[in-house]
Amino acid sequence: MTADVQRADVQRAGRGGFAWLRDLALGVRLSVSGGRSGWLRLTLIAAGVGLGVGMLLLLAGAPTAVAARQERLADRTPGAAAGSAGPGTLLVQAIETRFRDEVVRGRILRPEGDRAPAPPGVARMPAAGELFVSPALAALLDGPGGDVLRQRWSARVAGTIAPQGLAGPDEVYFYLGSGTLTTDDGAERTASFGGGGPPTTDPMIVLLAVVGAAVMLLPVLAFVTTAVRFGSESRERQLAAIRLVGADSRMTRRIASGDALIGAVLGLVVGGLVFLGLRQSIGALLPSDFSPYPSDLRPVPALFAMILLLVPAGAVLVTLSALRRVVIEPLGVVRQSGVRRRRLWWRLIPPGAGMALLYPLLGGMSGDIGDGTRGQLAAGAILLLTGVVVLLPWLVQALVRRLGGGGVAWQLGIRRLQLDSDAAVRSVSGIAVSVAGIIAIQGLLGVSIAATNGTQPPADRFQAVAYTNGADGAGWDAALAGTPGVGAVRTAGYGYLRTDPDDQSGVTVRVGDCDVLRQYAPLPSCADGDSFVAVQPGWDSPVLRPGIAAPFYGADEATPLSRWTVPADLPVVTLYAGEAFPVSYLATPAALKVPADLRGMITDAYLVKLDPAAPDAIERVRNTMARLAPAAPLQLFGDKRIGDQFAGARQVAQACAVLLLLFIGASMLVNVTEQLRERRRLLAVLAAFGTRRRTLSASVLYQVAVPASAGLLLAVVIGSTLSAVLLAATKAPVVLDWPVIAAMTGTVAAMVLAVTAAGLPLLFRLLQVRELRSE
Amino acid sequence: MSSQPLLVADGVSKSFGATHALNGASLQVFPGEVLALTGPSGSGKSTLLHCLSGILAPDSGRVSYEGRDLTTLTDRERSALRRGAFGFVFQFGQLVPELTCLENVALPLRLAGVRRTRAERSAADLLTRLEVGEVAGKRPGQTSGGQGQRVAVARALITSPRVIFADEPTGALDSRNGEQVMRLLVAAAKERSSAVVLVTHEARIASCADREVAFRDGAAVFAEAAR
Repeated sequence: MTADVQRADVQRAGRGGFAWLRDLALGVRLSVSGGRSGWLRLTLIAAGVGLGVGMLLLLAGAPTAVAARQERLADRTPGAAAGSAGPGTLLVQAIETRFRDEVVRGRILRPEGDRAPAPPGVARMPAAGELFVSPALAALLDGPGGDVLRQRWSARVAGTIAPQGLAGPDEVYFYLGSGTLTTDDGAERTASFGGGGPPTTDPMIVLLAVVGAAVMLLPVLAFVTTAVRFGSESRERQLAAIRLVGADSRMTRRIASGDALIGAVLGLVVGGLVFLGLRQSIGALLPSDFSPYPSDLRPVPALFAMILLLVPAGAVLVTLSALRRVVIEPLGVVRQSGVRRRRLWWRLIPPGAGMALLYPLLGGMSGDIGDGTRGQLAAGAILLLTGVVVLLPWLVQALVRRLGGGGVAWQLGIRRLQLDSDAAVRSVSGIAVSVAGIIAIQGLLGVSIAATNGTQPPADRFQAVAYTNGADGAGWDAALAGTPGVGAVRTAGYGYLRTDPDDQSGVTVRVGDCDVLRQYAPLPSCADGDSFVAVQPGWDSPVLRPGIAAPFYGADEATPLSRWTVPADLPVVTLYAGEAFPVSYLATPAALKVPADLRGMITDAYLVKLDPAAPDAIERVRNTMARLAPAAPLQLFGDKRIGDQFAGARQVAQACAVLLLLFIGASMLVNVTEQLRERRRLLAVLAAFGTRRRTLSASVLYQVAVPASAGLLLAVVIGSTLSAVLLAATKAPVVLDWPVIAAMTGTVAAMVLAVTAAGLPLLFRLLQVRELRSE
Repeated sequence: MSSQPLLVADGVSKSFGATHALNGASLQVFPGEVLALTGPSGSGKSTLLHCLSGILAPDSGRVSYEGRDLTTLTDRERSALRRGAFGFVFQFGQLVPELTCLENVALPLRLAGVRRTRAERSAADLLTRLEVGEVAGKRPGQTSGGQGQRVAVARALITSPRVIFADEPTGALDSRNGEQVMRLLVAAAKERSSAVVLVTHEARIASCADREVAFRDGAAVFAEAAR
């Protein structure tokens, strides 16, 4: 009777409508009740998935962080210009200076009435002589050399700017109250803040961001799909045991899905914690201009929901797809025998499609990159990079099939790869995609930076130049010469040759002595009385026919200073980058027959020679300039600093590369650990036979190094191709960045060695006899 | 049988945490003999085999091979001993799945520094003599259980070791295959004058041995003389 009841119970249970739910729950239960090894497996999965989810959440938070930063920047931008002074208006002048390597930005404010609005982040308008500073600037002022910086504004620090007034926590920013600022100083009048529109971004920066996002995303996704399969062999043995007690293949798949789900869900939880940790620490990796407030990094809700849903769904799909390659029978697990030859043709489709998308852009993109082009670029770059992921398994298989011979370690390593290279390929596909992307990005950056920089003036005669930028430079010479640490000051000026009195533009001649002119172009030789034809890349500078005599005008546009006959066979020189207007000739005063002190000419630049023994001499020059004309630019010769956007992009790219390589190193280590754990019995048997540790260590190294080498080869080819295509799209010269390729090769080699070394303690532990006892 | 023992365990004890696997076990293994260690699961017979073969160090007591105390040897020295003087057969063969059967058998020779071609020639000869020459080019996963176990026996014999340690070598086989494997193992060992230390719980398999030592609770409870 009891047996009948039990049979009836079993039949009823089998017919239930929620049988699939029970199977899923059984999978979950089996996962968490697997004892120490079960929990270890679950921990590995959760750690692996968590690492990936943490990175995904960080990427999903990037758009929000950028938007929040831009919103705050827009909020503090002065509003529409006000026509006349009133109780609610104020004068605003933007300032940019530097203190050592930090860019210090700020605004000088002068309220014109008692109802003038205070900018965001400060409770009140700073009074004349008062300074509100960001926490980062406060730290600079209180740090070493801060007293020199304090002298720049001769103002009292009256408060700190709150986060809503700053781009980010590390921004060096200030508001300085003034009682003397006028529109003649270049200040603008406004009655509000919050006039900032969308920021203009260099198309190259957009390109970099798009490719960068793809580079970050692909290895993370590749790793998450690997992580959910950790411990799959022991899971399959477990499923075989369940088959023995009556589970059919469909139930088995559902149980496996439940098992995968719990790992993915735990991974999401761990990922949340990883994200919270990364959110706090990411700022330290990024340049100060780009570091976000932790609260800014909030994943975009749609992306957050996608991660929440797609990670568990992906885990189930990956598990089910992996189960298609094994047959789980009651008496054990049968893997589909034989090594399937991987096909090449379909693997060429993604990179081919990527190239097809990018091909129309080869002729060059327009200056403004619209959403369509951006999408085309993103899709093309992602498809091309996906080529690394899909081609790598084929390449590794084709490579290891041809490898043979060698010692025992080589044989063990290579044969393992010949039999099954899936796991090894999965572990290095992330690094291959990243290296390809980094090569592409660094290639783009290198060319962009070179284009921004051009050839730089020498820094041996003069170390800095102060431009008047339209301001009156009277007295600057003496003020700069009187600054402690300044050895000498020389002036550069310019004037115009006008063949037609009605021609207001004329032909510009830069005038200075030979030392000064050498800061504008490399001269073959120079003596007083010499002159040169100046060629400026990017400018179409007019020149006069030799023999023409033209009047030379200076500051006084009505009376010429002299008359110059253009000599024949003038040497042609190429100007350094940085000249703000077209210059056609360089000439010494004697050539033009004008006074050596440039009297009567338009003087626009003061070249400064610094005493190399004087510390902070350049900071004192900046202090002087802040007093003379706070908004006037001061350029350093031999300055390594590059254009703001590209400097930032390079720092962001380097930070991302560091983060990515750390992530990949960690994920490769987790993979190696997992593979060693799966083979612990075999390793113990090999140890019992007396196999040397170094033989097994070397075989582990080969199993990582051979696929990594194949991945690197593919990454260099695809990364360089992408870089070349993107450079062609931006009409930049197509060159391969060999130092970057060499650096990446070295980094990957170091990472392979480090990962192998880090896996050795586990390997040696697994060589113990207790692994034999577990039989 | 020589009067000088090859291997001696003297008062060997070994614990794993709170579990006492061996409690002062003692026995001797003589050259060329087939010694069966029998007893129920958990009686300590596999642990003793691991101590005798130098892959496990006893907590107390002494294990010596040809008069050398194994417990005083370094890990490297014990590994060298296992490579040169000992051979192993385990219950599930434990062949390296990615190597062919031929390469698996040649592996101990290659670990000992023998050139590949020579090692594989010897391995091919041995596989043929153990009646599994036809699986030489196959991977272990492509062979039957009995064939795989014969390959494992060949791997244990390839270096002509002084002692072969066999831990439940027929445990995963049916009786017919099990007996065949045992017959081949014993015959090949006798041919090479190798001693065999055999762990089994099957009386039928133990009957192939020259001598049987029964274990219970980590110690020998009786020893049966040579048949």
